[in-house]
Amino acid sequence: MSDDALAAAERSATSVLHAVLRSRWLRYAIFLGVLALVPAVFTRVPFYTMSVGVLMAIQAIAALGLIPLTGHAGQISLGQAAFFAISGYTSALLTTRWHTNALLAMIAGMALSAAVAYLVGTFIFRAQGQYLVLATLSFGLLVSYLANQLPLTGAADGIPGIPALAPFGFTISGDVDMYYLVALVLLIAVIVVDALLRSPVGKALTALGDSPVATAAAGVSIAGLRRNAFTLAAALSALAGSLYAHWSTYMDPGQAGILSSVQLLIIATIGGQRLVWGAPVGAFVVITFSEASKTLIPKVIPQATGNYEIVVYGIALIVILLFLPRGVGGGLIGLAGRLARAVRGREATAVD
Amino acid sequence: MSEFLTFTLTGLGTGTTYALVGLGVAMVFQVTGVINFAQGDFVMIGGLSFASFAEAGLPEPVAALLALLITTVVGALLNLLVIRPARRANRERLVILTIGASITLEGVALLVFGADSHFASAFTGGDPISIGGARLPRQYLWCALATVVAVVLMWLFLTRTRPGTAMRATAMDTDAARLMGISPARMSLLAFTLAAALGAIGGIVLTPLQPPDASVGIPFGLKAFTAAVIGGLSSPVGAVFGGLLVGLVEAYATGYISSDYKNTLTFGLLLLVLLIRPTGLLHRASVVRV
Repeated sequence: MSDDALAAAERSATSVLHAVLRSRWLRYAIFLGVLALVPAVFTRVPFYTMSVGVLMAIQAIAALGLIPLTGHAGQISLGQAAFFAISGYTSALLTTRWHTNALLAMIAGMALSAAVAYLVGTFIFRAQGQYLVLATLSFGLLVSYLANQLPLTGAADGIPGIPALAPFGFTISGDVDMYYLVALVLLIAVIVVDALLRSPVGKALTALGDSPVATAAAGVSIAGLRRNAFTLAAALSALAGSLYAHWSTYMDPGQAGILSSVQLLIIATIGGQRLVWGAPVGAFVVITFSEASKTLIPKVIPQATGNYEIVVYGIALIVILLFLPRGVGGGLIGLAGRLARAVRGREATAVD
Repeated sequence: MSEFLTFTLTGLGTGTTYALVGLGVAMVFQVTGVINFAQGDFVMIGGLSFASFAEAGLPEPVAALLALLITTVVGALLNLLVIRPARRANRERLVILTIGASITLEGVALLVFGADSHFASAFTGGDPISIGGARLPRQYLWCALATVVAVVLMWLFLTRTRPGTAMRATAMDTDAARLMGISPARMSLLAFTLAAALGAIGGIVLTPLQPPDASVGIPFGLKAFTAAVIGGLSSPVGAVFGGLLVGLVEAYATGYISSDYKNTLTFGLLLLVLLIRPTGLLHRASVVRV
């Protein structure tokens, strides 16, 4: 290839990069394309299956609420799995015992989770500081212990036999159908949360994370803002929980465990807490890693159990936070921006 | 009535160790502004290594000293490897880092000690002591004694030595302390190391009463947070009071309801305290680090 052709290719690549960095609709379109390609790829690549794809999309929805809450408002929640479970169990109970319409059950689960979060948020944000992480830790442990003990939730046995979803008459049968449904929900959720972060409310939220004092001085109710971000995070996790319940047809107390909440925090942190893309990127990276370690670790260390996975999770979280504070997603975007600037700089010198 | 007295005494006995661990939480929070999620793991590591050494046949005092040493080294390493490299990070990133450290420690403990509980016999044999009709196993007295000794030593350190004074100064005003030539990074290291030592002592004296396994870190941490939060995260007296309260709630819940709901009730207690008075039950001031 001649130098001219190379330079032309480089220029067009840079302009595409610029366009992607500038236009959010282009980014949504690319995301839609990636989501649509997943079934074609996952059915052909080893150890990715469609059920892994569904799990990734569900976890991405559950982690998405942490972007505004943790990445912007600066509050950590260890209760995401609890809201996931509250809504999942609500869906399970309403559809198996009282044969409620699945969509109504889902709305009920989300409403219940959001109401609980709103109430907890109203009280907890009266004080400044990292109290949410403590409150959600105890709340999360409480919900997981109760799910294990109450006769209503089937105690340790959980609730089996949750019917599959049938939106608008289409019965969701199989992982591919479920994947398209969950991916669509994820796409809509990403666009909505992104729009929210761009709105004046979102700007206030970002300001709040940077300086609570300055934000309060600007006349914004920081307690109200934090409460609303927490409620949104709970509602999104609840949505994911109900989807999960109908997909797996089974809810068990393990879903409410504190490690599940930690995993969602890891997903948002590794993906990048500041941008909505952090949730899907993080879900892809973390679940790929966890699936890979399930198949690979026993080959390397025959007597290994799941314990190695926890150790590597913890270390990965620490290393990413120390060396890549904006996460994998944030790191990639930073790299793209720097690349585009470097090429532009070179062009500018060439013109001179 | 003697039943009630027994529950009260055992509750206060275990409560003293929760107080000890809670003091570690409050100390780290005061000096660094960070809630250390790995505090419960110090208790777990202290208890497990003590029990393992004792099971291996070492005399109990040697086992206890080794466990204390190992745990303080873990605390210092946690600070040097995880907290110090991120000292420019904001608080929520530091908190997430300690969460990562906590699950790492739990995983490592599972690999080193296995998933089973480990046991050690009570420090001194002999029948339970009778107090007003209540019968109290002697190990509870060791818990109370260890706590009193540790608290007195800590108090002497903080008020009578230069590093202790420097640490209090950092807790009061980090910037002013820095201007006086005190290194906040070194004080943070000291706080984590001491908190680990307090956690280890709690874990060691509790081992004969509650045989530890690798998963006890989070429940212990939560009890310690409860103790510290009841004291508003700032007052040592408050943390002690909070620890005793947690011990009592736990003992009454086990005695009168069912041991199944023991943890449910203590977790509920923290949530309740946080919802009613997030800044602590004891004092009116609501000035907390943002």
